[in-house]
Amino acid sequence: MQKAPSTLLAAITLLVLPVAVYIALYLLPLISIGGLSVDNGALSTRFPALSAHFSDSAEVDDPAAAALLSDLQAMAKKDRAEVGRMFNQELGGMRSLIIDTGNEADEIVPTVAGLTAFDPRWGDPAIWDVVRRNVEPITWRHFQKATGVKPGADGGYSIAPGDDIYLRILLRTFVIGLQVTLLTLLIGYPLAYAVATGSSRVQAIVLMAVLLSFWTSILVRTTAWVVLLQTNGLLNGFLIWLNLITEPLQLIFNRFGTVVAMTHVLLPFAILPMINVMRTIPPAQAQASRSLGAGPIETFLRVYFPQSLRGVAVGGGTVFILALGFYVTPALTGGPGDQMLSYYIADFVRKGLNWGMASVLSLLLLVCVVGLLVTGALLRRAFGWNKAAKPEAEAA
Amino acid sequence: MSRIIYWSSLVFAFFFLVAPLLIVLPLAFNDSSFLTYPMDGFTFRWFEVFFTAPPWLASLMNSLKVALGTMIVALLVGGMAAMGTMLMGKWGQLVLSALFVSPIVIPSVVLGVAMAYAFGRMGVGGGYLSLVMAHTILAAPLVFLSVMTSLKGLDPELDRAAASMGASRWYRFQTVTLPLAMPGFATGALFAFITSFDEVVVALFLASPQSQTLPITLFSSLRDRLEPTIVVVALLLSIVSCLFIIALNRLQKRGETRN
Repeated sequence: MQKAPSTLLAAITLLVLPVAVYIALYLLPLISIGGLSVDNGALSTRFPALSAHFSDSAEVDDPAAAALLSDLQAMAKKDRAEVGRMFNQELGGMRSLIIDTGNEADEIVPTVAGLTAFDPRWGDPAIWDVVRRNVEPITWRHFQKATGVKPGADGGYSIAPGDDIYLRILLRTFVIGLQVTLLTLLIGYPLAYAVATGSSRVQAIVLMAVLLSFWTSILVRTTAWVVLLQTNGLLNGFLIWLNLITEPLQLIFNRFGTVVAMTHVLLPFAILPMINVMRTIPPAQAQASRSLGAGPIETFLRVYFPQSLRGVAVGGGTVFILALGFYVTPALTGGPGDQMLSYYIADFVRKGLNWGMASVLSLLLLVCVVGLLVTGALLRRAFGWNKAAKPEAEAA
Repeated sequence: MSRIIYWSSLVFAFFFLVAPLLIVLPLAFNDSSFLTYPMDGFTFRWFEVFFTAPPWLASLMNSLKVALGTMIVALLVGGMAAMGTMLMGKWGQLVLSALFVSPIVIPSVVLGVAMAYAFGRMGVGGGYLSLVMAHTILAAPLVFLSVMTSLKGLDPELDRAAASMGASRWYRFQTVTLPLAMPGFATGALFAFITSFDEVVVALFLASPQSQTLPITLFSSLRDRLEPTIVVVALLLSIVSCLFIIALNRLQKRGETRN
């Protein structure tokens, strides 16, 4: 199709509305997460004088002390408690220091010496360090909390033991993702194989089941597992009826429940790419291999399986990336020790409206997902798994 | 030996895939408030609860409103995006397609946080409008993809033939392109509806108690306590999915016979 100027005009006319909608409802909200993650408006707007002072010089001098006291005087009692709580997240004891100093702000001589006389802690450079970092309009506080990496007074960085909680949750998210990916591939492979090579009846039945499962909502399938796995639920009842167990097992609100339910929910996403690849493997190859004397298992392992690996990789990659962002299924079938990163993101918003932490963790999740997508695309190119490589695969 | 491995793994996997819903859904008709077998008798009373108890019916209505609204807006946005992108050059198509499809790969929780904050700042938090806006972003990529697929499948000769006979661009678009791409729009509309109707995560961030959708009510009652009405909801949602697949199938068949 040639692109006359009028075609371009038509294209632009058509694109104005969708692009505007995408920018307003999608791109701007996503960008606002980036801003929120470093936004320190809550603190910097409450310390206008001190914030202005520190933007000029990092010096802790008498004007700094005066600015601190005037900001604290201007604040309502409730605000001082709030500010103190925020400082306290970084250094224990700051809350009481801020509240006490604020209550007596009118009496204190507005110099460093005056402050130190009121409370000797004001003579500690570490305290001022925390204050200085946190009255600036931009803060790395949330990033520090998410990674556990803290700047020391000497300018170096360190990870305090126990502070790496969100990194460990990220690790847990990856571990659950891997467990689920492996299981979906193991269970999905025979189903995909049946759709690609089975008799037409088997093909039709299995494909129908896969598509039905694919289009049934995640929540509905999770509901089924919640009902099945309850302590007094169907699976326990069945096992007791079989006399396999006498006491009900704990099947839900633990890792078992999470992984089983997630595997079931994500199974179609593993199967469909595998079917696509397996359908391109010519059945004549297996016949050739058999006629040359290889047994069925050897034929499968040496002729069929290697060629199907491309589908396994695409299916596994899809499941893993989807699993990383899962929220609903682990929230309903997992215990406190099985929640993934998404759960904590939602928690920060729903419980405390802590947009800063929610944004930082969202960015962390987003970086992981986008990083994996890019890696996947690069791997595909490196392995020559794009369309151009097909004749080659057939020749091999 | 190899056949035993194949069949046993196939039967196990197939059972794992279909059994949970097949076992659980019949309990919607169980005449007992416990979700266990054997069934105590056949009843419709849990359906009655669904259609009379306040949160359920109201949230079903909310879901329908939001899904219909999303379908219309996403059809417009995704459809225009696809048509406009089709008219661009190779690089333009690449960049625009990446933009229009990208919401699919963003984890819903991330979109939920971003939209809850941004929509709140815009002053549209909480109501139907914010849900339709959010679901439009989730559904438009699917409309875009299905319309793109059907537009790319069109024979450019048809457009050229119409042009050679003097039809104007707008007239050609109305009488040649649009009717031929109709199945793509219809499929996209179905995708948009079901995406919105089943969506939980973003809605959890945005909905107020008044605009709570059916999946949210299901989610919160699953956390609260298990009652047979939950299975009724699961059954109804599954039926909607089945209807969706049947409609999709019809559309595809019609598209095939036409070509």
